[in-house]
Amino acid sequence: MISLASYLVISLVLFLVGIMVMMVRKNIVAILLGIELVLNAAALNFVAYSKFVTQNLDGHIFSLFIIVVAAAEAAVGLAIVIRFFQIKETIHVDEATQLRN
Amino acid sequence: MFLHLLFLLSALLTLAGAAMVLITRNIMHSCIYLLASLIGVAGLYATLGADFVAVTQIMVYVGGIVILMLFAVMLTGGKDFVSKAQHLLGLAPTMGNRWTYTVGGLVALVFLFTNIHLLRRLGGMGQVKNDGAFAPTVDQIGNLLLTEHVLAFEISSVLLLGALVGAALIARPRHERSEK
Repeated sequence: MISLASYLVISLVLFLVGIMVMMVRKNIVAILLGIELVLNAAALNFVAYSKFVTQNLDGHIFSLFIIVVAAAEAAVGLAIVIRFFQIKETIHVDEATQLRN
Repeated sequence: MFLHLLFLLSALLTLAGAAMVLITRNIMHSCIYLLASLIGVAGLYATLGADFVAVTQIMVYVGGIVILMLFAVMLTGGKDFVSKAQHLLGLAPTMGNRWTYTVGGLVALVFLFTNIHLLRRLGGMGQVKNDGAFAPTVDQIGNLLLTEHVLAFEISSVLLLGALVGAALIARPRHERSEK
């Protein structure tokens, strides 16, 4: 039976995998991929609670705003990554040690 | 029955895609597996009756963010960093080293046990059955966005404008700086 707990477990595993991706990988773009996974896990929780507990659409609205903020974050983050690559010629995260040269 | 099938397929796609993002070496393949995972999350939204959120997920994530990620990967060379000396247990070449896997695994275990403990207490919540009878949500979401949540709606438009201008400003090549 599909219950609230099944969605929460999926969201939990998605969140954990996102955290693992953020901690394990050394490529900045891959770290941004992990952030997207974590944001998706949070948004999935909002919609699941909205369906099973509160029974109104506020969770949907919040999930939409999470998607909007994720889009903005991806745009700015990737711009920073490309600028970083132009300066340092690499996107290894351990090379990011200065705020300005 | 159809609902169960869609739920199982979407959950499988989501979790398998996320796992492949974690264990693939190639960053380009990672992006493609992230695409699969995001489509799976959109399917999960569909099983929850959130039609508008599911379509928005596909349009914004699959059509926008992942394409942006692929552009960033291609512009930055698409190299991943395999440290040749430090493979996990000496078995498979991985993209982290032993310490990152240890710390990541420990944090993941702490989260897992805390959340399972919390999920056990869930008990009475969520007794509403998902009967599969869904009403369209688009008109209600439109009403809510322009009445109750209008402030957040306007703030998000300002945020998007700021992000657009900021991204253009950051990524622009600075010739005057290099001439100094």
